[in-house]
Amino acid sequence: MSEPVSRSPIAPAPPVRVEAGWEVSGGRSEAALTITDCTPLAKVHLRAPWNGAMAKALGVPFGRASREGGGAYSASQDGPEGVWLVVGSGPGEWLVLAPPGVAAAVTDWLATVAADAAGDEFVSMTDLTHGRALVRVTGPDAADLLARLCGADLHDDMAPDGAALRSAVAGVATDIVRDDQAAVPSYLLHCERSSGQYLFGALVSAGESFGIGVDGFRLPGI
Amino acid sequence: MSGARRPGPMRLGPQPGEEIDRKRPFTFRWNGDSVPAFDGDTIASALAASGLRVFSRSYKYHRPRGLLTANFHDPGCFFQVGDEPNVRGAHRLAEPAMDVRAQNTWPSLGFDVKAVNQLAGRFLGPGFYYKTFIKPQRLWPLYERVLQRFVHAGQVSPDTPRTAVDKRFAHPDVLVAGGGPAGMATAVAAAQAGARVMLVEEEYRLGGHLRWGGEADLAALAELRDQVAATPGIEVLTNAVVAGRYDGNWTAVVRRDLPGGAEQLIKARAKVLVVAPGLIERPYVFAGNDVPGVMLSTAVRRLIRLHAVKPGERAVVLTANADGDAAVADLVQAGVDVARVLDARAGQGIVRVRGHGVGQHWGVRAVEAADGTTTECDLLVTATGWTAPAALLSMAGDRPAYDPRAARFFPRHLPDDVLATGGIAGDGSHEELIAHAGAVGREAARRAARIRRERQAAVPTRAQANGAERSGDDAGPTAIPELPVDAHPELFRASTHGIVDFCEDVSSKDIFSAVREGYDSIELAKRYTTATMGPTQGKIELVNAIAAAAEATGQSIGETGTTTWRPPYAPVTLGALAGRPLEPVRYSPMQPWHEAHHARPLIAGAWIRPDHYGDPAAEVRNVRSKVGIIDVTPIGKLDLRGPDVPRLLNLVYVNKWSKLGLGRVRYGVMCAEDGVVFDDGVTGRLGPEHYLMSTTSSGAAAVWEWLENVLQTMHPDWAVHVTPVTTAYASMNVAGPASRDLLLRVTEGVDLANETFGYMEVRTGRIAGVDGCVLWRIGFTGELSYELHVPAGYGLHVWETLMDRGADLGVAPFGVEAQRILRLEKGHLIVGQDTDGLTRGFSAGLDWAIKLDKDDFLGKPELAWQHDAAPGMQLVGLQPEDGSVVPPEASQIVDGPRIAGRITSSRMSPTLGRSICLGQVSASLAAPGTLVTVRLPGGRLIGARVTEHLAHVDPEGSRMRV
Repeated sequence: MSEPVSRSPIAPAPPVRVEAGWEVSGGRSEAALTITDCTPLAKVHLRAPWNGAMAKALGVPFGRASREGGGAYSASQDGPEGVWLVVGSGPGEWLVLAPPGVAAAVTDWLATVAADAAGDEFVSMTDLTHGRALVRVTGPDAADLLARLCGADLHDDMAPDGAALRSAVAGVATDIVRDDQAAVPSYLLHCERSSGQYLFGALVSAGESFGIGVDGFRLPGI
Repeated sequence: MSGARRPGPMRLGPQPGEEIDRKRPFTFRWNGDSVPAFDGDTIASALAASGLRVFSRSYKYHRPRGLLTANFHDPGCFFQVGDEPNVRGAHRLAEPAMDVRAQNTWPSLGFDVKAVNQLAGRFLGPGFYYKTFIKPQRLWPLYERVLQRFVHAGQVSPDTPRTAVDKRFAHPDVLVAGGGPAGMATAVAAAQAGARVMLVEEEYRLGGHLRWGGEADLAALAELRDQVAATPGIEVLTNAVVAGRYDGNWTAVVRRDLPGGAEQLIKARAKVLVVAPGLIERPYVFAGNDVPGVMLSTAVRRLIRLHAVKPGERAVVLTANADGDAAVADLVQAGVDVARVLDARAGQGIVRVRGHGVGQHWGVRAVEAADGTTTECDLLVTATGWTAPAALLSMAGDRPAYDPRAARFFPRHLPDDVLATGGIAGDGSHEELIAHAGAVGREAARRAARIRRERQAAVPTRAQANGAERSGDDAGPTAIPELPVDAHPELFRASTHGIVDFCEDVSSKDIFSAVREGYDSIELAKRYTTATMGPTQGKIELVNAIAAAAEATGQSIGETGTTTWRPPYAPVTLGALAGRPLEPVRYSPMQPWHEAHHARPLIAGAWIRPDHYGDPAAEVRNVRSKVGIIDVTPIGKLDLRGPDVPRLLNLVYVNKWSKLGLGRVRYGVMCAEDGVVFDDGVTGRLGPEHYLMSTTSSGAAAVWEWLENVLQTMHPDWAVHVTPVTTAYASMNVAGPASRDLLLRVTEGVDLANETFGYMEVRTGRIAGVDGCVLWRIGFTGELSYELHVPAGYGLHVWETLMDRGADLGVAPFGVEAQRILRLEKGHLIVGQDTDGLTRGFSAGLDWAIKLDKDDFLGKPELAWQHDAAPGMQLVGLQPEDGSVVPPEASQIVDGPRIAGRITSSRMSPTLGRSICLGQVSASLAAPGTLVTVRLPGGRLIGARVTEHLAHVDPEGSRMRV
């Protein structure tokens, strides 16, 4: 029996290699606007009362995303295995993005926080690593590209760095997280997995006029 | 017309402010002849420079038509350009090697046989299609063919490759519709006040009427253009139009500046819309007003000043305003012999124009004035008034008011997020108009800033202490100066009748006739005559139509009112509205394997599924005898966690769930509150407070919504979290007598023996080296089978491993078609196939599942009523007496003349070698052994017998419990 390799719903552009147990593209793009398949990232979905002790402990409100958090527990400081991004996806709903392979560790850490800070609350975690397709679009024209496919107002005054919202991109329900990279506008977009190839294709097609390039996945990925 | 590179005979020398580039000459083709042009010429200006007078034939009567307005709205300039029909020739820029042809003429523009329509004029009057071409009815096909021949308006080849143009979403603070002086000043002021501005202009360049003005106008134009260019925050779109304004200032902007005639739709949600469209010059109605050589003053000024074209040799001018006066000066400067100037302000007027010539040489010969004199000329210029293009304001809810003193309509009541400036708001000097526009711009920015603050406060995406705050603190409304309103004579129609709607060939006489026939409101007269319903959509003819209707009814223009403007303001290609086709497609992780193995795809909603791999019957036989694998990833899957999950399950399912043990699975049916079967599936208990629910593939989203509705509105106190995991798992069903043997080769951590892992149980374990897999021992096929849910990223790996490790067991894939046959052999219903929107639980063979002794569940009251009522329709198994006949699904079941049911599922059974069915029948026919009559499409009647069980194969279910 061959060693299991996990695959994204998005077909990787050649050259193809295996990174952290995932089949990924090893390609590199120097384009000013790039798109990267980040599906291998660990994704843990957390539900808890929107205004309760667990929410306070995480310190990341609905509509925002943060690596540092603002509560008593900081994912980047207290969590194992490197840098994480905690996203306030909805009222009482969070998604923790972390490097590939650490979903179990993330779940354990969240459970520890919940037990410590929110013992009486109903808190649940679900591993959605395989349930979401996730891409990153980076570049000065990233918002203009998204404006071809998404009706949300992504101007700085409505969706600055760290904004998290849910909208429709190319007709697919998609979560959008603005996560600038070295002051360059960058957006993480994730949708339910089976629409991932379609979403990726729509972004690449709409991005042709911007000279979009497909960049390969590199660890840690977040 | 030849002489490829000589300037045309009507080309003037350089003009101040001209927009042609004489250093870039080229030629294009007009009806096969070569025509010289300069870069910056429109098609029409180049043709006019070449001496052309007749540009087209009118729509209905095929009257020769020349230039009237010489801009986008010109009704005499619709051309076929290459493969693109209905091109506005007086707006579209000429390009090298363009192939331009006249439309709607046969055999040629000069000699158009269809002009015979003029002889049939009395049969083609307003509303002729209500009165003529009706009887005899048998000639309708002939009428259609004839009318189609005469209504032709350009051609589009289906073979020309088309490129989809992405739409674009935009969120300007202030959207300014109109790039004339008022629009430019508004945009600058708004941007300087901190607003993000989108400035949209229909022409190729900003400037409006300043472009063809005198020296002072050109200087003012340059200054305004410099200001726009120098002010950050203004996005300028030229050759673009605001096509519609919808609720909440959702605005459609159409860009026309893409190659090949393509257009882009911009969906702009503007916080404030400023309407600055200027004014559109109105023609005068008189006999002969459509003879080539009759032009508006703005047309001649555009031709002379922008394109250096002499509009004629000898002119008569009818003027009622300063623009007409300026046209006289321009004509003189261009070397036109201005034979007579008739000043309407002094009571002078005209009666008719006489034409002469044949075919494409038809044109103005003389003008009869109201004082009885006749002046020979080849050009009549009229300057008799202005129409306010109030469409966008009307779309914003305004009903403009007519001012007889100014002879035009003005805005009345605008919503808070719409402003108007420029000529549509009033008159005044250039300085007064600029001051007004500037104030409007600042006020627009203020209102937009307030709206922005309200939205920023409402959205959670902005951090508490950051996010760029832009200027625009509300210091109170900006004072907007009043604009004066100049008097203008009310000039609509001379003493003779003439064309009102040049596009539709509707005359003032037609409108009078319509009123006489009883169509005495402007809305009725419009629809009866089709006036204002052509390509110009009322822009140059509406007020004249209203005036004619008012004259005919004896009412005032104000009393007559206007028609209703609806989007689009200007024509929009279907391509712009369509944009790029966005048709989401969903794929399973095993899709690459299916494609590589030639699966025939089945489109199931947004999913692409394998229907079969070449031989569905063979696939069925393989499942019954060996082992098959089907990709069932689209099956809905919901992760349920919390202490109150059993209460939720008890509420949404018709059966009991309180005692579902760890590792156990139960089949459940959901009914809606009307008792109608809504969905079905199995739910298994994976942990003390952890369950996994499956639903139908098509019901996945609906069931999720259903559960959330219960939790959020009925029982927010219940501690349950529902998370969709449909595509988090790659799902596959391994079915057949050898399925356990196959799984034993790849599974770790699960004892697969029947004694320890029985039917309707669930386990988690490791499959093909992948942790976190869920194994259900359930079956839809009636064979020993396991449904595997694998973390989706490993789906292809597990599938390939099973296919590899099961080769000697005869493993083969089976598709949706084989599964449908297998489940039909087992009598398993499919919700939505064997049930419909009226099928309540007791009509679906689900008596055994519905537990009316439960305290409560959704649908219980209706089901209880159904239980106590006389039996209605029943789901039964059926076998046609002739086993070789497979009745099409939905075939009727009849009882004498009465429809007594229908076939819901029907296939040839490879296992039994005969046809089998499920069907809904009246209770009186539902007893096992009853012979029912099935009516096949085409009327043939066959017999079918009700079976004892729904299952046709192994009704006891012994094969799946081994």
